[in-house]
Amino acid sequence: MEMLSAFFMVFTHPQLLMLVGLGTLAGVYVGAIPGLSVTMAVSILISFTFSWDVHPAIALMIGIYMGGVYGGSRTAILLNIPGAPSAIATAMDGYPMAKRGEAGTAIGVTTVMSFFGGFIGIGVLALAAPFVSDFALGFQPRDYMLLAILGILLVGSLSGGSLVKGIFAGAFGIALGAVGMDPLTFTERFTFDLPVMRSGISFIAVMIGMFGVSEALAQLHHVDTVAVKQKISRIVPSFGTIRKHLPLSLQTSTIGVIIGALPGTGGDIAALMAYDHAKRVTRNPEREFGDGAIEGLVAPETANNAAVGGAFIPMMTLGIPGDAVTAIMIGALFIHGLNPGPMLMVDQPDMFWFIVGSLVVANFFMLIFGLTGIKIFTKIVEMPRAVLIPLILLLSIVGAYAVNNSITDVYWMLGFGVLGYFMRYYGYPLGPVILGVILSRLLDDNWRRAIISAKGDFGLFMQGIVTSPLSLVLFIAVIFIFVNQTPLWPMIKRRVFGRGKAAE
Amino acid sequence: MKHLILGAVSALALGVTGAVAQDYPTKEIQGIIQWGAGGSTDTVMRSVTPHAEEALGGTIVMQNVTGGVGAIALNQVANGDADGYTLMMGAENPLLYKVMGLGDKDYNDFTPINILARGTPILVAGPDAPFDDYAGMMQFIADNPGDLRFGSTGPGGLPSVVTAMIESVEGDLDVIFVPYDGDGPALTALQGGAIDVMPAVLGAAVEGIRAGTMKPLAVFDNTASSALPDVPTISSAQPDYESLLPWGPFFGVFVKKGTPDDVVAKLSDAYATGAEAEDFKALMDGRGFTMMNISGDEASDFLTKWQETTAWLMQDAGLTKTSPEEFGIARPGE
Repeated sequence: MEMLSAFFMVFTHPQLLMLVGLGTLAGVYVGAIPGLSVTMAVSILISFTFSWDVHPAIALMIGIYMGGVYGGSRTAILLNIPGAPSAIATAMDGYPMAKRGEAGTAIGVTTVMSFFGGFIGIGVLALAAPFVSDFALGFQPRDYMLLAILGILLVGSLSGGSLVKGIFAGAFGIALGAVGMDPLTFTERFTFDLPVMRSGISFIAVMIGMFGVSEALAQLHHVDTVAVKQKISRIVPSFGTIRKHLPLSLQTSTIGVIIGALPGTGGDIAALMAYDHAKRVTRNPEREFGDGAIEGLVAPETANNAAVGGAFIPMMTLGIPGDAVTAIMIGALFIHGLNPGPMLMVDQPDMFWFIVGSLVVANFFMLIFGLTGIKIFTKIVEMPRAVLIPLILLLSIVGAYAVNNSITDVYWMLGFGVLGYFMRYYGYPLGPVILGVILSRLLDDNWRRAIISAKGDFGLFMQGIVTSPLSLVLFIAVIFIFVNQTPLWPMIKRRVFGRGKAAE
Repeated sequence: MKHLILGAVSALALGVTGAVAQDYPTKEIQGIIQWGAGGSTDTVMRSVTPHAEEALGGTIVMQNVTGGVGAIALNQVANGDADGYTLMMGAENPLLYKVMGLGDKDYNDFTPINILARGTPILVAGPDAPFDDYAGMMQFIADNPGDLRFGSTGPGGLPSVVTAMIESVEGDLDVIFVPYDGDGPALTALQGGAIDVMPAVLGAAVEGIRAGTMKPLAVFDNTASSALPDVPTISSAQPDYESLLPWGPFFGVFVKKGTPDDVVAKLSDAYATGAEAEDFKALMDGRGFTMMNISGDEASDFLTKWQETTAWLMQDAGLTKTSPEEFGIARPGE
């Protein structure tokens, strides 16, 4: 009974309801602007809501979180500039749709699917949180490493044209991620003794430069072309469309929840893995991936919103953050006199149900705000290029500066913008660069932890992989996906199928 | 004529500076937090500052400037004006920058406004560890050389100092050190069984200990902690530690050296009042931090002593890049 009243608290208090709504609306816009991140917004809110009660403060933060994760898709679809790292995959099929004048449809599908993914995440949080957190806690360094390798194999999916160029771009990204003072030993890597390189290259600056500035530069080629007129008659996807993608969205939501629940991985990796999964399992997409396939929108958007619920799982059950935003929320709970940790669920179960309730409300608001106001948003792409391009550049500069309040990041961002332009020009895909930067630390740190734990003995390390069921499954997945991408695969398949037929 | 104008301008300028010091603050004050959002330093600063603002009658806008183990933030404040409009909100790390080769500035370039609180280290083990106390752990290491996995956070972090203390008392430890980004991720790994023992700050481990997901071995202090009164102190297990303790990370607010005295006094009063707020004290207590709330000479002495003890401990453990001697940091007791 108490559980129910805590769950419905946010529904019955108009003030809380309003705050969640306000937060979600603000989140959509914060998320849509590249560089303004949810993490930043939530940490500012900690000071802002300091004197408030804990419930309104958390309600507002949850709204921003939910709205922000979704909002990243807006600019990804309309301008080919992901508003947040978790929307990188969304741009790959969303932007081609906008180029065809189908931005309305793309945003509609994205919204409904984000809503769906969000619910799966919340559902798992409400019903199976202790179970999932036990599972997530069991991930050893070697498992994170295998997960990172699995992620790196996505290069194949993100490359589009030439795989060789994709691998090159991915390796470049991994090297970029390694620049700076190595946080494990404080040894400088790739810094060339320059103080400016010591703290590394901001990942957000690379992302904004590669996607934002290089896009603006590329658009300069078509500065006189008239913008595509957007059709906005049919925004809400038909029930048939949703039903058709239901199996896929269930799978990608599951990927989202699990990756989100793992401490150390978040919505960005979840969305990329989901995109890759969709590419693998979709047999006959109506349009090719990278050319505006609906599946390419469904997968990352369900996954990154499902990861929101997932990130709350270790936070609520163990006091361990599932991502950067939940890390700040843990700080907020501390400031408001709660003690987030394994005992929170026991001592104050109503806080758990209040958060679940707020997430549900935020998810509904996201749907409402997502489906209204699309007309104004699509007007952005219909603007003359001479207005749009400077606007993109301005947003990119503000965004890059805002991340660390550092002018150096702006220079990095512009530099990577120019580099990104030439990479596009010569057919090098940019997705793998970002993938490499995201995964660099995950791979590097965990490989070192794993091999140090195995006393530097590779045999012992392999023994660890073979004896742990989780590691073994991940290892087999790595091998399978790797072989799957080599010319060896069709040969093996023919052999196996050939024999099957012979046996008949 | 020229002289007259120059004179008028400089008189005006003097008048203005005088007014600034008297009416301080006349504009927003910037607070530069050395660590990321959600971390210990961030939490402490964001909860004490609103109370200090009230006492000061001004606004302090806080932002996190991370990177370079906090050196970026330190340099940013050190390169700014000494006018009291930029506060450095940091932890203990800068006192080790010189010996660790991370920078050429430390708190000697700053005036302390308030050292708010200090943390207490605690040695925790995973719930399935085959020992229950400090003596048991040492025995296990002796019986199984090179098997036990210790979490660490890189040279200069709390685990490295605690480990240096253990090695200075017990001799070299034959264990594996597995590096993590911070004590949060390392304690997560401890609960998942990826490491066996972790020296952490008490506040980070206290909830896990209460819930039984981690096993406390010893508190690194001479007196038991009020948050965990049943956990034995390290000096009760091994009296040799007594002279090295109390030791712990701390949080403080600083301004650049050369800031006018009355501004320093105003800020010190504001933070001293802020640190007395009941909800701040309750927060610090709940997270296992010991309130200090010291300023002026008391704070400067504390910083000097802290730097001497820690820098030489690191030097003796062979973890430094440059000897503390080079920077005129005296060996404690000399």
